Amino acid sequence: MSSLPELEGLRVRGRWPLPPGHRVAVVGARRPTPYGEAVAERLAGDLAQLGVLVLSGLALGIDGAAHRGALAAGGCTAAVLGTGVDVIYPRSHSGLAEQILAQGGCLISQFPDRTPPQRANFPRRNGTIAGLVDIVVVVEAGLGSGALITAEAALSLGKPVLAVPGSVFSPLSVGCHQLLRDGAGLVQNARDVVAELGGDLAVLDDPLQPPASLGLERQSELGRDPLLAYLSDSLPAEVGHLAARLQLPLSETIARLSRLELEGAVRRWGGGYVRLPRGGGRPSARR
Amino acid sequence: MLARAFAAQVQGLAGRPVEVQVDMSTGAVAFFLVGLASGSVREAKERVRSAIRNSGLPFPQRRLTVNLAPAELRKDGAGLDLAIAVAICLAALGKPSQAGLAFIGEVALEGSLRHVDGVLVLAEGLRRAGLEKLFVAEVDAAEAALIEGLEIYPCRTLRQVLDHLLGGEAIPRYQGRPLAVAAAVECPWDLSEVQGQEAARRAVEVAAAGGHHLLMTGPPGAGKTMLARCLPGLLPPLDLPDALELARVRSVLGELEGTSPLSWERPFRAPHHSISTAGLLGGGTGLPRPGEISRAHHGVLFLDELAEFPAASLQSLRQPLEDGRVTLIRSAGAVTYPARFQLVAATNPCPCGYLGDSGRPCRCGPGAIQSYQRSLSGPLLDRIDLQVTVHRTPPHLLGRPAEAEPSVLVRERVFGARRLQLDRQGCLNSALAGASLRRWAELEPGSRNLLQRWSAERTLSARGFHRAWRIARTLADLAGDGRIRSGHILEALGYRLDELAA
Ligand SMILES: [Zn+2]
Repeated sequence: MSSLPELEGLRVRGRWPLPPGHRVAVVGARRPTPYGEAVAERLAGDLAQLGVLVLSGLALGIDGAAHRGALAAGGCTAAVLGTGVDVIYPRSHSGLAEQILAQGGCLISQFPDRTPPQRANFPRRNGTIAGLVDIVVVVEAGLGSGALITAEAALSLGKPVLAVPGSVFSPLSVGCHQLLRDGAGLVQNARDVVAELGGDLAVLDDPLQPPASLGLERQSELGRDPLLAYLSDSLPAEVGHLAARLQLPLSETIARLSRLELEGAVRRWGGGYVRLPRGGGRPSARR
Repeated sequence: MLARAFAAQVQGLAGRPVEVQVDMSTGAVAFFLVGLASGSVREAKERVRSAIRNSGLPFPQRRLTVNLAPAELRKDGAGLDLAIAVAICLAALGKPSQAGLAFIGEVALEGSLRHVDGVLVLAEGLRRAGLEKLFVAEVDAAEAALIEGLEIYPCRTLRQVLDHLLGGEAIPRYQGRPLAVAAAVECPWDLSEVQGQEAARRAVEVAAAGGHHLLMTGPPGAGKTMLARCLPGLLPPLDLPDALELARVRSVLGELEGTSPLSWERPFRAPHHSISTAGLLGGGTGLPRPGEISRAHHGVLFLDELAEFPAASLQSLRQPLEDGRVTLIRSAGAVTYPARFQLVAATNPCPCGYLGDSGRPCRCGPGAIQSYQRSLSGPLLDRIDLQVTVHRTPPHLLGRPAEAEPSVLVRERVFGARRLQLDRQGCLNSALAGASLRRWAELEPGSRNLLQRWSAERTLSARGFHRAWRIARTLADLAGDGRIRSGHILEALGYRLDELAA
C-alpha cells in the first residue's frame, strides 16, 4: 500500500520527499482526556521507534501529543497544516513546529503561503492527511470530530482505519467506538498498527505503556493511595463526591489528591480529578 | 448689618464647614450669592426667598449679599439652604447671630425642611470645627446624632427654627439611643440551604476565615451566587469605627436609612457586568461620588461572569485591591474613598459554560476556551488566593430537606480563626506577604519541602507559592493549629488557581 494518489500543489517546509517506509496518521480530539493524550503520545513514540513515520495535523490535543511522542522517541514526524505552510496555528505550537523541522521532519500544506486559519480549510486538510498515509489511527474523537472526517476520507481512499477504544462513559470515545462497531481495527498498542501495515510483528496482548512524560515508571504500585481506585482516567471526579464515597473529611480528601497530583498519579481536569494512565508490565525497564 | 450662620459642604467623605455671611446694605433691591457656588446652590436664592415669605417672615427689600466662605471651596447641593435662610432672617430682623450653631437642610418653597445627603459627614466636620449645636431636618436627626458631642435639633420648618432662635417655642433636643454593637447579624442566606458543593462550601469558609479573595468556576445555575451571598453571614458584624466608615459612604450617597442609620451588617454588592467604570469605582460629574467598590467597603464585592466585565474596569480594580481605597481625580478636585472589600469572582469555565459539566457537553473550540480563560488572567487574578470549582447539583439532591451544616456553626470556626490571626499578627492572613508572611506563617521543614517540590516539579509560580502558603496558614488557624503542617499545604494546593501558559 505504498501508492499515493496525485497530491499536487503541496507546499512543504523541511525534508521532502517524505522518507521511505510506512506512514501512519495519529489523529483525534483537540481537547482530549489525559488518557487520550497519553495514548497518542506513547503510540506515536512506539511507532516512530519501529521506523514508522507519524503524520498529524499540529492541532491542540491528540495531534500535538502524537507529534511530541514521535519526537521524544527520537523519530521524525510530519505535520499537515490547515494554514499556509508559513503560518503556525495554534501559535502555542510554534515551538513544536520548530522541533519537527529540527528533527528532520516537515510541515506540509495544500494552501498558499500566508493563508490564515479558516474554519473551512481544516476539513480539507484532514482529507490531505488521509491521502498522505497508509493508515489512519483515531485515538479519541467525540461525535462530529474532525478526526472522523480524516477517517472517512481514508475509507473512501480504500485505506484502513484503526481506532483506540476508551471508557464507555466517555463522550470523547463515542466516535472511536462507532468506528470499531463499523469494522475499524482495534488498537491497543503499536503492534496492532504494524500488523495492519503488514509487518511481521506478532500481535501481542501487551497493554500500552504510559509515556515517559508522565513520570510513572518510577512509581511502584505498593503504597499507593486507595483513593486512586475511585478515579477514572477520562471522567473527572468531583472532590465532594469522592469525600462522600470514601467517607473522608473533605479537607483530607483534597490533601490526598494534591499528594497524588504531586506524584504524577492524578491531574486536575474538567473541574475535578482524573487518574493518569498507570504503568503496566515493565516495572523498572525504563528508568 | 452682617449676620452669620454655619453649615457644611461634603468633600469626599469629609464635611468642610461653610460660613454663610449675609450683608444687608442700602441700594437698589438685589440678592447676590458669592463664593464658588455651583448652579444647584444658586438655585437656593429662589427657594430661600419663597420659603421665608411663605413662613410669614419678612424678606428684606434691600441690597443683599450672601457670601459663602471659604471662597476656594466649591459649594454644591441644597444643604446650605437652611443656613442661608436663617442668616437672612436674622439680618432682616436685626438679631445677633449666636455662636456655636450650625444649620443643615434644604428648604422647600413653602418653608418645610428636607433631607440632604451627607448629613453624617457634615455633622462630623462641624463637630470637629468646634460647633456644638446642629439644626437638621427631622428625617436627618438620627443620622446626625451618630456624631458624639453634638446637640441635634430636629426641625420640621424654617419657622420653627427661627422661633427657637428668637426665644419662642424651643425645639426639643434629639434623644438618640446609645450605640450598641451587635454580637451577630441576621443574614438571610444560609449555608444550610446549599446542597452538596462541599468543596465550594469549604472554600467560602476559608475565604471568610482569612479574608482571602475567592474565584468560583462553574457552569450557569451551579449556585455560585448563592454561595457568594452566604459569605457576609460568616463574617463578624462590623465594629463601630467600621460601621461609621461605611455609614459615611452611604450618607454621602444618600443611601442611609433615616430611622436606623447605623448598620452592623457587612455589605454585599453584586454589580452587573454592564456597569460603567465610574459606577464601579466611583465618579460622576462634579466631585466624584463613591462607586460599588466603596459601597462594598468592609463587605463583599461579588463580580459574577467576571469575563464579561470590560478589561479596563477589571484593570482599575487593581489599585483599590492593593490599597483598600480608591482615589478619583477630576478637574473639580481629587477625592479618596475607602474600598476595603473582599472580592468574590465567579466565572463560567468556558464561553458556553458547560466545560467539565457531567450533564451537558461543552460546545466551545479549544481556541475559544483558551482565549476566554486568558481574558481572566492578569492583574486581577493575581490578587485572588483561592479558586474552587462549583458543580451543578444533580437533580435528585435538589429539594431534599437541608442537612448541610448551617452558617451559625461555620461562623464559630471562622470567628475563632480570625481571632487567632488578629491576636497573633494584628491583621488577617490575606494581608500577609513577604517578611510578614515569613514571620507569622513559619513553615515546618516538611511543609516547606512540599511547597518547594511542587514548584520544582509542577506548575507553580512564585505568586502561586505565596498564595498556597497564606491559605495553608488560614487552614491551620481554622484547625486551631499553631503550626502549618503538610496536610494544610496539600489542601491549600487543591485551591490553587490554574496557571495558564501565556
Ligand atoms: Zn464550552
